[in-house]
Amino acid sequence: MSGKLTRQFLIYGAVCLCILLVPVVVDDAFLLNKYARYLVFGMLAIALSLSWGYAGILNLGQATTFGIGSYCMAMFLKLKTVPVHTGSEGLPDFMVWNNVTELPWIWVPFQSTTFSLLAGILLPALFAALLGWFIFGGRIAGVYAAIITLAVMVVANLIIIDQQSYTGGFNGITDLAEFSFLGIDFDAYSASTYYLVAASLTVTLFLALAVSRSKTGLILQAVRDQEERVRFFGYDVALYKTFVFALSAGIAGLAGMLYTIVMEFASPTFLGVPLSLSIVIWVAVGGRQSLIGAMLGAILVTGVQGALSESEAFLETWTLIMGGLFVLIVLLMPKGLAGAIEALVRRLPQAGNGRSARHTEPDHRPETHPNLGGTQ
Amino acid sequence: MDFVVSQILTGLSLSSILLLVALGLAIIYGVTGVINLAHGEFVMLGAYGAWLLQTQFGWNVLASLFVIFLAIALLGWLLEATVIRHLYDRPLDTILATWGLGVMIQQIVRLTAGGELRYVQMPPGLSGSVDILGATDSAYRLFVLGVALGLFALTWSIYRYTTFGLKLRAITQNRAIASSFGINSGQAYRATFAYGAGIAGLAGALISPLKSVSPEMGTTYVVDAFMVVVLGGVQSLMGTLASSAVLGEASGLLAYFSNDTIAKALVLVAIVIIIRFRPQGLFAPRVRA
Repeated sequence: MSGKLTRQFLIYGAVCLCILLVPVVVDDAFLLNKYARYLVFGMLAIALSLSWGYAGILNLGQATTFGIGSYCMAMFLKLKTVPVHTGSEGLPDFMVWNNVTELPWIWVPFQSTTFSLLAGILLPALFAALLGWFIFGGRIAGVYAAIITLAVMVVANLIIIDQQSYTGGFNGITDLAEFSFLGIDFDAYSASTYYLVAASLTVTLFLALAVSRSKTGLILQAVRDQEERVRFFGYDVALYKTFVFALSAGIAGLAGMLYTIVMEFASPTFLGVPLSLSIVIWVAVGGRQSLIGAMLGAILVTGVQGALSESEAFLETWTLIMGGLFVLIVLLMPKGLAGAIEALVRRLPQAGNGRSARHTEPDHRPETHPNLGGTQ
Repeated sequence: MDFVVSQILTGLSLSSILLLVALGLAIIYGVTGVINLAHGEFVMLGAYGAWLLQTQFGWNVLASLFVIFLAIALLGWLLEATVIRHLYDRPLDTILATWGLGVMIQQIVRLTAGGELRYVQMPPGLSGSVDILGATDSAYRLFVLGVALGLFALTWSIYRYTTFGLKLRAITQNRAIASSFGINSGQAYRATFAYGAGIAGLAGALISPLKSVSPEMGTTYVVDAFMVVVLGGVQSLMGTLASSAVLGEASGLLAYFSNDTIAKALVLVAIVIIIRFRPQGLFAPRVRA
């Protein structure tokens, strides 16, 4: 077990090191910006892998908390813009166009750097905790919970578009100031921003790994496989689920903040169904029960997408290909690429440490036994 | 008085659309346990079907209803046979697979019919308005209400009074034991899925003269329909009927005092709070744990 853990740490560390070293090789600011975007998506994939792969909570609205984080950062940076871009009395330009006369109360705290940075992580987490309390406290699970997360996102998206004078509506919040923190300027097209994103990704990945390896992580996996039994053991299942749901939301919020820095705007599309679907696809492709698999899945898929979308014809059919690929993966490879690789390694006869390989966990297929209880 | 009547009529019109869209979803979920996220796309395809038949062949909506029902039901049958039937043991994965299928359908429509908004004309005989207790309402909206109720009654009767319905109820209660009594549950599932899809198509065609038709229109409908099913309680057709009525009237009333978006948000918040305390839904008669 400990040997396996060391190996896992080594693999995770090596991947993160490779990611951190990219700017040494790549000198193109445009490319770095693009790669930073992929890394942000990697963080989103980690967030979903935690809740879906480890706790069995399929969050179809992961983009909700991502969007909240990104709007927090955008509001903060908008208030930092030089007066040229803002209207009279320091009001953001779109508010002036919408005849808003003073800064709305929800915007006021975002004048503070500390508040904004904390809010980008804590607001999504609190939001998720509240939602989780209602969903999991009511013992809503499985498909039900999944659709509620989707419904919440659709409505959040509608509200942001509707409340134009406070949120910039359909156009989102644009013309942002450059993010600078502790004396460092994070220009979207610079190595410093890339390092910021890559470092956040590394911290997130190891934090997620630590959680998944902790006792809490084990209980969560038990909840995923047999929720009733864990409840009979006396664990407060709803509390554990709410915790991981909020943690996942906090990570998504952080990713959202970074995305605003990288993209230099925030838009209602960040809370959109297409993005949420993409997150689920990345994680499914990479392997939901592997944090690093999910992360690399995101980077791989968005990377391929980025390369293909250079040509007009592919851009049109990309969504179609993605949908088809997704259906095939769900049908044939429920554990994604990481699962396939793991199975391949396990099948290698006695290669390397064959002993520990034989002790790896059996396939979890909890739902395959005949359903005699009549539930579900 | 006029205000009350017209407000009730507005709510009823919303309710009838909700009922139409939710009925197919409710049947499929109730019987097979599959949340069909491609349901909205079936609705969208139905609307495009009405548009296509109207612009190409000059059919009016009423004439095209039956053809659209058959076409979308056939599509549902095919999708069940190729994809869904492999996933009955993995309920979460059915969401994913149907979501993927929905995205593909949406993109295919966008690539073939174009992304712009389309409009379908009302059938000429029903484009007028009718006076009811001092308030006026569009004849077509009343017609849609009638069709929704009719379809519901038909579905209810099939479920309640036919041999096929009896088999469905047996499978819903316990698939394994029903199978051991010789009921072909695979076949029943496929028929259910096709029927649910067909109704979704029908709903889309009926809605098309009232709303603009676009490839993205399905997403909001599937969310609305799901809220109806959640509030009404799973496996309860009467619950679906009741919650469509409640949600439609509530949305109509809230929208009168604010706007559609705020109304939708408030309804969602209410539903999330309700399921915390009544997870089985408002109208579910009893729960088997």
